[in-house]
Amino acid sequence: MRHPADRQAVALPEIPGMGRVYARTLTARGSRRPALEPVEVRVDDVTIDAEHLADYQRILGEPVSDVAPAGYLFVLSFPLALSIMTRKGFPLRALGMVHVRNRIVQNHPVRIGDSLGLRTWAQDLRAHRSGTQVDLVTQALDADGDVAWEQVSTFLAKGVRLEGIPAADDGAPRVEFSAPVPTGRWELPADTGRRYAAVSGDRNPIHLNPLLARVFGFQRTIAHGMYTAARVLAAVGPARGEAYAWDVDFARPVLLPATVAVRAAEADGARGRRADDATGGASFELALWDPRSGKPHLTGTLTRLPS
Amino acid sequence: MTSDVTPDQSPEPEVPAKKAPAKKTTAKKTAAKKAPTKAAAKKSPTTTAARAAASAQPSPSGTKPPRRAVILGGNRTPFGRAGKAYASASNQDLLTAAIDGLVARYGLAGVQLGEVAAGAVLKHSKDFNLTRESVLGSALDPRTPAYDVQQACATGLEAFVTLANKIQLGQTDSAIAGGVDSTSDAPIAVGDALRKALIKLSYAKTAGQKAKILASIRPKHLTPAPPRVDEPRTGLSMGEHQAITTLQWGVTREAQDELALASHVNLAKAYDDGFFDDLITPFHGLARDENLRADTTLEKLATLKPVFGKRLEGEATMTAGNSTPLSDGASAVLVASEDWAAERGLTPLAAFVDAQSAAVDFVHGTDGLLMAPVFAVPTLLRRNNLTFDDLDFIEIHEAFASTVLSALAAWESEEFGRERLGLDGAFGTVDRARLNVIGSSLAAGHPFAATGGRILASTAKLLAQRKAETGRTARALISVCAAGGLGVAAILESA
Repeated sequence: MRHPADRQAVALPEIPGMGRVYARTLTARGSRRPALEPVEVRVDDVTIDAEHLADYQRILGEPVSDVAPAGYLFVLSFPLALSIMTRKGFPLRALGMVHVRNRIVQNHPVRIGDSLGLRTWAQDLRAHRSGTQVDLVTQALDADGDVAWEQVSTFLAKGVRLEGIPAADDGAPRVEFSAPVPTGRWELPADTGRRYAAVSGDRNPIHLNPLLARVFGFQRTIAHGMYTAARVLAAVGPARGEAYAWDVDFARPVLLPATVAVRAAEADGARGRRADDATGGASFELALWDPRSGKPHLTGTLTRLPS
Repeated sequence: MTSDVTPDQSPEPEVPAKKAPAKKTTAKKTAAKKAPTKAAAKKSPTTTAARAAASAQPSPSGTKPPRRAVILGGNRTPFGRAGKAYASASNQDLLTAAIDGLVARYGLAGVQLGEVAAGAVLKHSKDFNLTRESVLGSALDPRTPAYDVQQACATGLEAFVTLANKIQLGQTDSAIAGGVDSTSDAPIAVGDALRKALIKLSYAKTAGQKAKILASIRPKHLTPAPPRVDEPRTGLSMGEHQAITTLQWGVTREAQDELALASHVNLAKAYDDGFFDDLITPFHGLARDENLRADTTLEKLATLKPVFGKRLEGEATMTAGNSTPLSDGASAVLVASEDWAAERGLTPLAAFVDAQSAAVDFVHGTDGLLMAPVFAVPTLLRRNNLTFDDLDFIEIHEAFASTVLSALAAWESEEFGRERLGLDGAFGTVDRARLNVIGSSLAAGHPFAATGGRILASTAKLLAQRKAETGRTARALISVCAAGGLGVAAILESA
């Protein structure tokens, strides 16, 4: 991700509390201007709390270690993304936006004790066939100023049309999902959302309370997308290596409680390929689906990178 | 074990080279003695898959041990169905009973053995010294050392291999290998939240701290967490894992039911023939395995509804009839040096030849959970310059009927042989007349850690009988799959 130099930096003393940014989501209406503000928020000298990291790792089935799994910095930096999305000048209303895609590149490991510089901005406001999409980009810089970790989270404001913005490049036409051979199956109890909310701080009511979930159009509470995605990453395990690109497309929410089928398997032809062999594409194919209907919750890939 | 064969010099297995299917019932094979005709044509696997498979299962060169380890006999309890005959017996009770039966049969009361190794899969934390406690509760000299082994369903076989190796090396002269499991005595744990609170409580110093921790405990935390029957990394039960493998290898319902029927018929016949009279000691009202259905038929088996694989793309074929039930029971095998046996006037039944462990990456779906023996067996047989045709008995633990049939299919597959085993073609065909000839786990039941000892003692006796009939050395292969993608295989020969 190219870092845009021409932005106004808003330095925050620390990562804001989720309670505060959520309160702002209730009032932020979205400016509906067809452009993004040239602004980014920054927080310097962020360190990882060992106990919090352990709670995160345990809830996902990751080994408790000093290295943060790629999804952890999503959790840590999520308030920064929300604070961009709830600024007065942000064109879309944050409340009700749907996380549709997430790409993380872990260039090198981030550990307990590292001093990280986080910076977050929005880019690529674009018209999508079902609304308007925008990317929230976050980078984590190590003490040398190198990008250790970076993420592009794509959010969709359903049904919102803004005049004069470019159309999204939808890329290749969608391939119909056909349920593969599972490598695992999870029973996700009704309190899955509440338990992950307690660790991640993401207390969006659609994850907590069935009645409130109904208000937002879901029959029951839904699992956090990044919880399910990070559990699939955990299923890849140490085979992902230290450096990797992790891409996830969210298809349908997981209504809780749920039984879901999982596939985290080496991609065709990936076995034995070296991480620095750039010719072969994805190392692992990832999928989560409803074993009854065969419909996908998420699909994705993990590609090992030379570390 | 042959000392002159290293993996790089191993001859090609004979079976793949043959054009005719190996469906012969006679055991007059001399393949092992044939000149290694293709010894010079060392394989160089051309695919990365083959390389990965080859590197995943290291194939050490065999070295002739200083002396032989021989099986003198065995003893087990009849196996009970979970929660039935042995519902009130603990792991320690069952293991002690199996050891004491062995002690009685071979006159070992008050005898100090070199070592006892055994284990259980479902084990209470208080049973950290399960085997030692069982020895102390047995008629053996209390100065007999003991230790616990745990390798899922391969526990019993691995305990034996370890002790046999010690005997071969001269580190000990006599030993008992065993195993026990009681699903009726399974440990129930408290949930994580309560467990953490209780641990914190034990570190709390002041009454205030303690009160605060106690106040944090909620009624829902008191729900017990039963032992997991699924694989921790995949969430799939063993049956669901095997259902995937079953579909991948196209194993039919009929083939599974036929194997299950053969297991019951063969086990019932062996009981009727008195085969188990010196292998089993009745316990707690049971004289035969509680799961054995001597009167079952293909028709009865065909009426059972599938229980695994119901949510997969494909026909669900695995039923309670062609899967092993949860079981309770214990087994013990007496293994010693030939000198020790002679001193005590005991007659060796069989000698330990060699063993091989393997593991597969089932987590990423590369291989089926229970398919590790498919890799262990070729490595083991090739190292010993043997093919299936050189074996009088092939004992493949019946975790599920389809586990056995998937393994047979993999060994018969040209593609699997080439791509995954690094061979020129299929590894070989098992003559079904030599497979599990006195029944196996489908009929007997499968108290996880006790299965190895059951197979070892029965197979040793089969080998001794075969040698008595034919006057020549008889050989057997034992193969056990285990949770965690593990597998252990061993070769025995008549003593």
